[in-house]
Amino acid sequence: MDETPLLSIEDLAVSFPPDDDGADRVRAVNGVDLAVYPRQTLAVVGESGSGKSVTALSVLRLLDAPPARYDAGSIELRSPDGGGSEDLLAVPEKRLRSVRGDDMAMIFQEPMTSLNPVYTVGEQILEAIRLHRSVPRREALALARRALGDVGIADPEARLRAYPHQLSGGMRQRVMIAMALACRPRLLIADEPTTALDVTIEAQILELLSRLQHEQGMAVVLITHDLGVVAQNADAVAVMYAGRVVECGSVPAVFARPMHPYTQGLFAAMPVIGRTTRRLATIPGGVPSPSRLPPGCPFHPRCHAMEGDPQCRDAHPPLREVGDAHWAACWHAPGHEAAPATIPRVAHRRERAAPARGPS
Amino acid sequence: MSERAPARANLTGGGLARRVIRRVGARWGARLGLAWIGALAALAVASPLIANSHPFLMRVDGSWSSPWLAHLRPQDVALFASAAAAAVILPLGRFGLGARLVALAGVSALASILAVTLVTPPEAVVYSRYREMAEAGKIEAAYRAPVPYSPADNLRDQSGVRLEPPSLAHPMGTVSDGADLFAHMIYGTRIALSIGFVATGIAVLIGILIGGAMGYFAGLLDLFGMRLVEIFKSVPPLYLMLIFVAAFEANLYMLMVIIGLTSWGEHALFLRGEFLRLRHQDFVSAARASGLPLRSVLFRHMLPNGIAPVLVTASFGVANAVLAESVLSFLQIGLVEVKSWGKLLSEALGVGGTFYWWIALYPGLAIFLTVFSYVLVGEALRDALDPRIGAGE
Repeated sequence: MDETPLLSIEDLAVSFPPDDDGADRVRAVNGVDLAVYPRQTLAVVGESGSGKSVTALSVLRLLDAPPARYDAGSIELRSPDGGGSEDLLAVPEKRLRSVRGDDMAMIFQEPMTSLNPVYTVGEQILEAIRLHRSVPRREALALARRALGDVGIADPEARLRAYPHQLSGGMRQRVMIAMALACRPRLLIADEPTTALDVTIEAQILELLSRLQHEQGMAVVLITHDLGVVAQNADAVAVMYAGRVVECGSVPAVFARPMHPYTQGLFAAMPVIGRTTRRLATIPGGVPSPSRLPPGCPFHPRCHAMEGDPQCRDAHPPLREVGDAHWAACWHAPGHEAAPATIPRVAHRRERAAPARGPS
Repeated sequence: MSERAPARANLTGGGLARRVIRRVGARWGARLGLAWIGALAALAVASPLIANSHPFLMRVDGSWSSPWLAHLRPQDVALFASAAAAAVILPLGRFGLGARLVALAGVSALASILAVTLVTPPEAVVYSRYREMAEAGKIEAAYRAPVPYSPADNLRDQSGVRLEPPSLAHPMGTVSDGADLFAHMIYGTRIALSIGFVATGIAVLIGILIGGAMGYFAGLLDLFGMRLVEIFKSVPPLYLMLIFVAAFEANLYMLMVIIGLTSWGEHALFLRGEFLRLRHQDFVSAARASGLPLRSVLFRHMLPNGIAPVLVTASFGVANAVLAESVLSFLQIGLVEVKSWGKLLSEALGVGGTFYWWIALYPGLAIFLTVFSYVLVGEALRDALDPRIGAGE
């Protein structure tokens, strides 16, 4: 595990101005540590409001600051040559613009609104290409055509002239992916890329992402709330709750033995094919508002493992290495007491056969 | 897919411009309004061809000359050149509309600069010269404009021509200094059109910059911007204009700037609202995430999606600007060196309370029809952009 990560987020804290009735700034993200290695897919899982989207937007520094504020931490992006790295929270705006879209790209949740309705698909892809590559128009057009072909769009020539409203949701998300990947970024951040799509299209898009990742050798941060998606696509997983990472590790390790009661609750809430239940399990209560987090472990009011332990109410449990490639932040996790509090680094990649390049 | 897409996506879609043009064109009121404005534009360009004391061609002592060509002023030449350029450039369907408009603006600017530097008509003009020559029988042949009077031709050589009611020689009568009213009306189209478009252009430009910044950056800037807009909107525009006119010299350009400076608030408010809505749309985040500079995010991605309400207020703004100029001129504090329709209107009431009906009728009617046309077009534009009206089509 001596490999250096492509992107490492350390102790990131982001806050927003207080609500009308609050006095302190609201910490949406509170001490998050994450790392992605080249060619790795890191899934970030959590409910709405757990801070996963804020973390993703922070990586590209897309939050409006002010009102948002980066209170602490660093986001280190390794240089392409593998040598040094730079802290994206510290670089000037100009450098940031050349990182955005070139080194790192992002695709958004809602394909219906993430393309500009007044320009054709071709104009938007060309803009993305010519922003970072000084190539003549003819060459950029060829690149755009190839990018559309790469994402499995039939008749790219005609689609270049189409307006977004003439395309279906799945088609638009493919166009978004083509735009994001046109400059061959080293890291792609996908913020719930398939939430707005139906299940068959979701499978196609995820397969497409996985194929492109394999072909282009890029790293992917996949933000999702679907554990099924994680199981099929990710190498490493981080579970977030109330602005913190509560459990992370390689997908086999976490899925084999979830240690945090919250993760266990998420798994229990998943339907299993072949097992009959009257009702799916739920986690009692709701995600606390970031402006009024409970003291101690933020999960303790909903936790089944706490059993009245005062420690859970009083002290926040640190993230500790409870197993091989497995970290958890729970006083009651097996082995938590004796485990070292290391910074989580999961370099695990799944074995994969080269996917067949069929029509997807 | 397109028919299943939500109405909003359809409205802001690529066919938007074409759809709006079609829906505006479907209303007879808007068509009449556009026809009137088009006719005014044609008259404004062709003014020297319609009303001019200088003959196009005349033969004196056996040799042909063209006093008309010699007395053409720089603005006439610039307008001719721009109109010719428009006739050539605009039908070129091969290029985008934006590119054609930019090319046209460039050619017009170049033509204006060349015209101002190269065209130097004689400064002292004796209009009675041609009539004297004709009486003396020196002119052997002449081709004259349909209205053989320039607006500056006071007919000093003729007696009893001041404040004459309409007659065969002067179909709209004459004004207090003896000049032909019809000639003044024709040349007045230039002021009526340019004041409306330039003043509104200035107002829209300021409104876009301030409103766009307010909507995009929100927060403190928005707070102070709104107060600024409220200050400008709470002062009655006429008083503000009177103060400006009192402080600065009132020439045509000053008047345009003043009207523009006092009427940007409405545009800023509309664009602010649109930008507040758009700034959190995914495509704006996507544009920023792809590394576009702020300039492109604001003007290439947000502006085309938020400009529609501004265009509607702008068409009403043009009408207001024409009216504002007329009011100022009617109050004798507007233009001094050229006679606009409003200025002419103010001459309808003579010394001692005499009412000259023809000087009230023609300029008044022209102002009314022009303002009415802009309002008709503005209303059609507003309805065409409103997804709730005619959504069933």
